[in-house]
Amino acid sequence: MGKTLKSSTSNRRRFLKATGASVAALTLAGCASDDAGNGGSDSGGDSGGDSGGDSGGDTGTTTGTPEQSVDEVIIGSNHPLSGSLAATGVGMSNAIKLAAMRKNEEGGIESLDGAEVTVIEGDNQGAQELGGQVSEELLSEGAHVLTGCYSSPVTTAATQVAERQGVPFVISIAAADNILQGRDFNYVYRPQPPARRLASDYADLVPTVIRDGGGTIDTAGLFYINNSYGQAIRDSLREFLPEQNVEIVEETAIEFGASNANTQVSRLRSADPDTIIATTYVAGGVLLAQALQDQDYRPPYLTASASATFTDDDAVSDIGEFANGVLDNNYALNPTVDKTAEVRSQFLDNYDQEFSASVGMAYTAAEVIIQAVEEAGSVEPDDINEALKGLRYEDHISAMGAIEFDDQGENINALGPVNQVQDLSVRVVYPEEYAEAEPQV
Amino acid sequence: MGHLVTSVAPLPLQGGGLGRFIDPFVQFLTDITNLEPVLLQLLAFGLLLGGVYALTALGLTMIFGVMDVINFAHGVFLVVGMYSVWLVSEMAGISPFLGIPIAAAVLFVLGVVVHVLTVEPIIEAPQQNQLIATLGVLFIIQSAIEIVFTPDPQQVELSLGSIQVGGVFIPLGQFYALVIALGTMLAVRAFLNRTDLGRKIRGTADNRDGARYVGINVRRINYLTFGIGAALAGVAGGSIALFQRFDPFTGETYLINAFVIVILGGLGSFPGAFVGGLIVGMIQVFGGYYLPGTTAQVLIFLLFIGTLLVKPEGLFGGAEA
Repeated sequence: MGKTLKSSTSNRRRFLKATGASVAALTLAGCASDDAGNGGSDSGGDSGGDSGGDSGGDTGTTTGTPEQSVDEVIIGSNHPLSGSLAATGVGMSNAIKLAAMRKNEEGGIESLDGAEVTVIEGDNQGAQELGGQVSEELLSEGAHVLTGCYSSPVTTAATQVAERQGVPFVISIAAADNILQGRDFNYVYRPQPPARRLASDYADLVPTVIRDGGGTIDTAGLFYINNSYGQAIRDSLREFLPEQNVEIVEETAIEFGASNANTQVSRLRSADPDTIIATTYVAGGVLLAQALQDQDYRPPYLTASASATFTDDDAVSDIGEFANGVLDNNYALNPTVDKTAEVRSQFLDNYDQEFSASVGMAYTAAEVIIQAVEEAGSVEPDDINEALKGLRYEDHISAMGAIEFDDQGENINALGPVNQVQDLSVRVVYPEEYAEAEPQV
Repeated sequence: MGHLVTSVAPLPLQGGGLGRFIDPFVQFLTDITNLEPVLLQLLAFGLLLGGVYALTALGLTMIFGVMDVINFAHGVFLVVGMYSVWLVSEMAGISPFLGIPIAAAVLFVLGVVVHVLTVEPIIEAPQQNQLIATLGVLFIIQSAIEIVFTPDPQQVELSLGSIQVGGVFIPLGQFYALVIALGTMLAVRAFLNRTDLGRKIRGTADNRDGARYVGINVRRINYLTFGIGAALAGVAGGSIALFQRFDPFTGETYLINAFVIVILGGLGSFPGAFVGGLIVGMIQVFGGYYLPGTTAQVLIFLLFIGTLLVKPEGLFGGAEA
């Protein structure tokens, strides 16, 4: 064309005004969704948004004291059911419904005369500004206890509402340390390991696996998503890796929604560390693998800390052979108990989705809630809260010890074991008590 | 492996205070002085990324240039293009490259339909009405894709890999997208300058009322323009699908960048969109390499604000009709 098609100054001003406002709105809506706990952004899942679980029943309830008759126990599920985190968010919400369904098939909450467990869902779209609002809505619809939210910023907002209203909130996934630490909460609990614990486990476990296998790991390059979750892991790795004689020689961040990781890999290639440690959503890890291949580079050990990419079967399949050998420390399903395979199979039958570690963590959170209600024998928030404080739950499917919470609401036995991609399958390889395969170094 | 790269950008945690931001520039200048090979690699990445960004902005700038309509559905049009290529590739077994013109055709039809149903009835209304209408179209199409295809990411089964030229790695998927961007820009430019219909579109862009007086069917030009703009989004989305996984929401990031590029380059200007795309791409690549964290994004928006203050018509906004 060689020249502009339109010249009206007033039009330009209107365009700038309108797009400015709209871009800001989109940015808020889109970019606010940039933190997903320590999970990935995409895996499994059909679109959700329906309320209620497979347990059936409407959302009405006979809320009341232990003396009153209780027909149902309502769990409010606050997850991203639309938006770029929806693939995993829908799966997580389905996992919560599956936990409810399994309990109902066993006869419901025994201590409440068989009251059914019902799940109502709220869609936070992965947007921080909706976290609190969805919590409010779920509570107004009668939820007795809440769970969510996959994204750390969203969880920060959602838990604030629960705490203010004195309703228990069991985090399904959200890694950022400051969700619980320093907020002096009394009603919020986190079964999964927080960022600091995950990074600590990486430093303790992954170098051990590599060195025990005869490898050398003296230097590391960090590749992380640039938000509170990625930065939290990065900060903790800075603290813990030197204690294991691993020097960080490069750090490079990727933005949520980036289209490639070429620049970041150029930096890492320059530093040429013994290992690259990825802390990303599923999409970020896929971009990393793609850029590494495009630049014909792979460090001696490609590893990850709290990254969902290399524990997600779909992502591993998309990456292909290049994914083989990657070591990733993250929460994991416990392959040594029969219940895991049973739940996985049931999930696949009901929802036709992959039962990833992230989805499994949400399932565990739902079981924690159900067990607490069972022990409370009540739907009163304070009764459930007291039960959570004293809970010790062993019959779960996550690769960690019994779930019990400290004063801050953190699970004192949380663990981020080491997984490895072997033959395009994700296997727990360390520590030995949860291992289903030998690590291949 | 024979590493090409010898320069190492400063580790973000090494510097403190102002040094954190000054050191990268010193490093950059040092690398230029030493003619570090990494600069060539970054230049290639910047060019490739910028080309993709430019391609995503072409349709947006055309629709606004001719019709004064801010098409917020542009982002989801990109996504429809991606899914179109994926569908013809996966379902019909057609080459993804052949899927790109099919995506353009699909988007042209979709664009015309969207225009006739939502934009045309309010074309004379205040501009914010069209903005809200196209925003609504975005949500409707996005939700429809999510319902039909699930939020799961998809990818075209195509492993293009990369080539190495003079020690510089060039990912082929992005290279093809750059070629398509250049080809598309030249083709549209030729269409607008050398065909009767193109001249009518330009005439309408210059003066809508005048176009009516000389007998141009402005209504027809409107829906053709909207269709062509959408088709350009189809080409862009289809090209992106060659090298990137996508889901129903992938268009959001590209849409935001496209708005920045359109304003930076000059509203309605194709060369402006191309140069704007390259600028954004270069800043992202060089900034990503030398600056801590994602400071490059801050630079892009500083440049954006600076452009509005110093040259609000955009870089190519001066040579107006």
